[in-house]
Amino acid sequence: MMIHHPDFDLTPSAALLNAANAAARAIPPLFPLASSVAVNPYLGQTGDTLAMTAARLGRIAGTPVTQPRDWYLARIVDGRISDDDLGAALAASPEANRPLSLAALKAAAREMASQQQALPSVAQLAAEASGIDWPAVVNDRFSAWAAGHFDRGQALWTTAPGTSAYSAWRSFAAHDLTPEIAGLSGFAAFVAAAPATAAGTLAMATSRLGLSDAALDTAFHASLMSLGGWSQYARYDLWQAELAGGTDSAVTDLLVIRLLWDVALLSQYNDRIGADWAAVVAAHAEPLLPSPDQVIDVILQEASERAAQRAMATAFATPAPAAPQSRPALQAAFCIDVRSEVFRRALESADPGIQTIGFAGFFGVFVEHHPFASDVAERRLPVLLNPTVRSCALSPDAGAEDAARIAARAKRAWGRFKLAAVSSFAFVEATGPIYAGKLVRDALGLGPSHLPHDPAPRLSPGLDAAQKLASAEMVLRAKSMTDGFARIVLLAGHGANVTNNPHASALHCGACGGYSGEVNARLLAALLNDPEVRQGLLTRGITIPDDTLFVAGLHDTTTDDVLIYADDTPSPAHARDLADVSRWLTAAGLIARGERALRLPRAKGASDIAVRSRNWAEVRPEWGLAGCRAFVAAPRHRTGAQNLGGRAFLHSYDWQQDKDFGVLELILTAPVVVASWISLQYFGSTVAPAAFGGGNKLLHNVTGGIGVVEGNGGLLRTGLPWQSVHDGANLVHEPLRLSVIVEAPQDAINAILARHDGVKALFDNRWLHLFTLDDAGQMQGRYVGGLNWA
Amino acid sequence: MANNEFYVAQGRGYDRQTAFFEKDSPVTTALVPYLAPLALLLCAALGFWHPGQRPARTVLAAEVGGVIAIVTALVAVTLLILHGPSTASLLPGLSVRLDVISAVMLCLVSFVGWVVLRYAASYVDGEARQGAFMGWMCAALAAVMLLVAAGHLVQLVLAWIATSLCLHQLLLFYPDRVQARRAAHKKLVTSGLSNLVIIAAALVLWRGFGSGDIATILEGARSGAAPTAAAWAAGLIALAAVLKSAQFPTHGWLTEVMETPTPVSALLHAGVINAGGFLMIRFADVMLTAPGVLAVLVMLGGFTAIFAGMVMLTQSAVKTSLAWSTVAQMGFMVLQCGLALFPLALLHIVAHSLYKAHAFLASGGAVEAVAAVRRPGLVAVPSGAKVGQAFLAAIGIYALMTLGFGAATGFDLKSPQAIALGAILIFGVAYLIAQGLAGAAPKALTRATVIYALAASLGYFALQAAVEALTASTLPATPAPGPLEWALIVLAVLSFGLVAVAQALFPLWAHHPAAAGLRVHLTNGLYANAVFDRLLGGWSTSRKS
Repeated sequence: MMIHHPDFDLTPSAALLNAANAAARAIPPLFPLASSVAVNPYLGQTGDTLAMTAARLGRIAGTPVTQPRDWYLARIVDGRISDDDLGAALAASPEANRPLSLAALKAAAREMASQQQALPSVAQLAAEASGIDWPAVVNDRFSAWAAGHFDRGQALWTTAPGTSAYSAWRSFAAHDLTPEIAGLSGFAAFVAAAPATAAGTLAMATSRLGLSDAALDTAFHASLMSLGGWSQYARYDLWQAELAGGTDSAVTDLLVIRLLWDVALLSQYNDRIGADWAAVVAAHAEPLLPSPDQVIDVILQEASERAAQRAMATAFATPAPAAPQSRPALQAAFCIDVRSEVFRRALESADPGIQTIGFAGFFGVFVEHHPFASDVAERRLPVLLNPTVRSCALSPDAGAEDAARIAARAKRAWGRFKLAAVSSFAFVEATGPIYAGKLVRDALGLGPSHLPHDPAPRLSPGLDAAQKLASAEMVLRAKSMTDGFARIVLLAGHGANVTNNPHASALHCGACGGYSGEVNARLLAALLNDPEVRQGLLTRGITIPDDTLFVAGLHDTTTDDVLIYADDTPSPAHARDLADVSRWLTAAGLIARGERALRLPRAKGASDIAVRSRNWAEVRPEWGLAGCRAFVAAPRHRTGAQNLGGRAFLHSYDWQQDKDFGVLELILTAPVVVASWISLQYFGSTVAPAAFGGGNKLLHNVTGGIGVVEGNGGLLRTGLPWQSVHDGANLVHEPLRLSVIVEAPQDAINAILARHDGVKALFDNRWLHLFTLDDAGQMQGRYVGGLNWA
Repeated sequence: MANNEFYVAQGRGYDRQTAFFEKDSPVTTALVPYLAPLALLLCAALGFWHPGQRPARTVLAAEVGGVIAIVTALVAVTLLILHGPSTASLLPGLSVRLDVISAVMLCLVSFVGWVVLRYAASYVDGEARQGAFMGWMCAALAAVMLLVAAGHLVQLVLAWIATSLCLHQLLLFYPDRVQARRAAHKKLVTSGLSNLVIIAAALVLWRGFGSGDIATILEGARSGAAPTAAAWAAGLIALAAVLKSAQFPTHGWLTEVMETPTPVSALLHAGVINAGGFLMIRFADVMLTAPGVLAVLVMLGGFTAIFAGMVMLTQSAVKTSLAWSTVAQMGFMVLQCGLALFPLALLHIVAHSLYKAHAFLASGGAVEAVAAVRRPGLVAVPSGAKVGQAFLAAIGIYALMTLGFGAATGFDLKSPQAIALGAILIFGVAYLIAQGLAGAAPKALTRATVIYALAASLGYFALQAAVEALTASTLPATPAPGPLEWALIVLAVLSFGLVAVAQALFPLWAHHPAAAGLRVHLTNGLYANAVFDRLLGGWSTSRKS
């Protein structure tokens, strides 16, 4: 069948372009695995409530936003969720069609909810009509192209660089004979005859599909959602472009490509599916409204969160010991990451004189870093921000860098020799037997460690005295560290230590852009050891004693060892102090490993933990941030007496030292937002693993160096793999929206929220819960939205 | 087939005496190789007994089974060294043929098997059907070991069929996955055909040579008994092997079976896939009676090697790229069999299996590997002149190696086939040198790539000499080529040479608009798989339920 393109007005209307751009923004970005960070899968929906999001995702993808009913029912039956929790959640629901009474809610909890079916796509209708699995064919063909287009260096023969996604796809699809073989006749010719610009095709496709303006929102969103991680990866390109002040058309190009498939399928099967499709378009034009079942699900979810908050409130009710007055034996700053909570508690138990501090793990160093002998610029800072300084790791030995670069290039040449068409035969016959040795080495876990051992990083260009002083003061005040410095102040970044794990970066430091945190810690330690800076700080009222040494370290979250970079600032006077620190850290590591072993499968005790980092077959080397449920911004002594089980982000904050609440503003707009991304990524990967989870690790097939697909190919997977939230028998992450607990006056918080609409929306639409602590450290006020507190 | 007399066995170091008339080792010790499959079958039974989650005893037993298999293989090697080759019968139809071929294959399979089972112990932990998984892995390994040790046609055929059945179960470990069912269906059709063909081959052999004992059949084939049956059998063996080793156009299933946990891929690509090559090597004497069949193998294997090698360049998913690499490597191995270079084919099987098992199991490192490629900056592009220099240098290395090894072995002339194969491999080495000359490469980089090139060439020629010495008394020598063989040799060297030059100049033309269509067609594997899908109704929605 020949498919003609009649003359169309090839200029899209403003409404159409707006709808396409809005659909692009409804999609969260997917960061490449080399430096991936957690992203809130509901990033495009934070302006809506969870119930509205349920209605939207239900319509476009049949994706639930809560657990199945029996999950909540089990918790109601065994008393973990009380009637009070249910009643309060019901009362707090703003939905008009909520159950009328607690009894009605409890009765509903016993019934199976009807799972909303997504509105079908043209491809699905065509599949029903023809018996050919068109959605699978579209995914397969689209992915075959996208894998090549977005490839960062896996294939030696990639698509031509520098072309837009739409024209690259058009060139691919115009040559690809597979759709014809599968039964879509004339598709290549149809594509070749399509308008040369994405905008023109958008206008043509929307018109041919009969999409009314009212239908565009969810119809476009559904199209992009059906492309899984590919549209999210394109959204990442847009994200990066906008961060750099530019823009990128990849996401809307993908939308146009997906629509073009539908146009072709609709043309071929119009006589059989035309009427059905018209009904689908009409349904897309209906306003979104959560169903009674969705409203009930969201209330039950809220009740489970209130139950968890009750448990937290009890913990905070335990009287806190007074903060120690004498000079601490050691001050150790860790990332707010929930894994630090376990280690900090262990370290504090090693000696009563040890004080720990929680701060975002990039330590306020907004750095773009070049590792040793590398051209790649690594953005080791929160992905919401741009770098302000640059650094590189230079060896004092000038020849070392050249030698390392030659070695890396020779290794790369060898790697291409291994993969190229004819040389791969020579490679196998000449070196295959060497792999017997590699198999033994890796099977027994004898390979090298992956901890970073680069030379010390240096700012390049360096900062002048005023800039250095300003940076140092900003960081110290943000940490509420202005006096009482110990002889040793440890700044510990963190990173995972895993082998053969495509998701390694997801276990690194999210605040450091998915890299390990040692570079930022080493840069900050060097800055604070700088005598010029110390002199300057005196004038700003911050006195750091001469005998205080800042030392950078790396907390290995897989093994709970801490690597100390003592040689960065050699200080013989501190040799004994450092020996003590090393002893305490060793003791703390043992305690932390013992505690973590209880949660990890195939770990009987502390000694089983270290081998996991070298086991190339280990799919659960550590639990990452699984279980995270709370964010606390308060002095450490408010939480010091409690075992928070590695489930809380702990940010040290003393509001009485925060004169104009500038630090609080920073906390609420940066670390809290990052924590919400992490928490909601775990939430989405748990409640909707098919849509927002990374799939089964056992089937992962790394694609393009950027992501994973399951099995042979298909859609790029995004979010956390099932093995990262589930131990085989049970979920290790309970899906709860994060409770943010802040010790600060409510007025100050309100003032900040009023200035930041995006952050306010997170709390107003209850993507995050917000509480304050009173002067006695008790959980007291609950934010109920619209700058009101209960 | 009538030009059998064309082939004159060169008889170099080929000693029939040691090959077949030594059976003086006690029968009971010669049955030792059965211990390995026995141990693995017991582990398999344990797995099926507790098919569910976290069966601690099965997981431990499987690794112990793997260790027992390795020890058994080493004992078999010791017996072979002490007593020479032998066939020992357990039951009618079940016997062990212990010679260099089976000893090498037993060592390979047991070693890879142990690695894979140990890997699976961590990797599959927590799966709902973990016990069943370990069970089928052990059963598949046992079947492969029975296959490579087979001394009788009955055992050979049964083990051949059993490997494909076990594999089918493993490919459907996630039976809910539509893609897994689609791939397994294709695999079932292909391997079902190969099962029928090998049964036919066995019947023809048994009837022709009047015995199911493999040693007797080989001796008969060598002495020219039943030439017609031998020629027919050679054709059927070649067909069974081609189907089993994913040669064009039946390769589709292999590039789609990543639908099951990684250890299965490792086992498949390092163990099961070799069955075809093993069969041809095992029946090398029979294969030599049919030059026409060998000629077809040269063309088919050569084409598959080049075709799949090019497709591999376009694949962006690491496991898919590895699968295409396996298709190509199997094509190269088939080419070697077609050129009657059976010792080299055996070397290829071993070398490729070790590499590919590691590559699959370590494929999670692909993110880091791709990141590492970007760190030293842009890849320099060699000019045409530099590529020419690189090829001259490589040919120089080849001459050096030939002279060196020739001097060491008393200038015992190599067969033209082996010389041609060496040339093909040296084209690959040229690519390595070309990269060291590209752009404004520092001298140190050129030096490093030349050292790599020398080391690779040395490794290759040393291994080749070693495997030839090892198998001299077991495998027939390569016959002198006739006109057809000469034509094929020239064709092979020219086509691989052409592709090698194109590869070295690759960045200069790969993104040219005229190459865009070629890239698309290659990405899709020239549509052989799409057609296969269409024929089998692979995209049918009925497959979904």
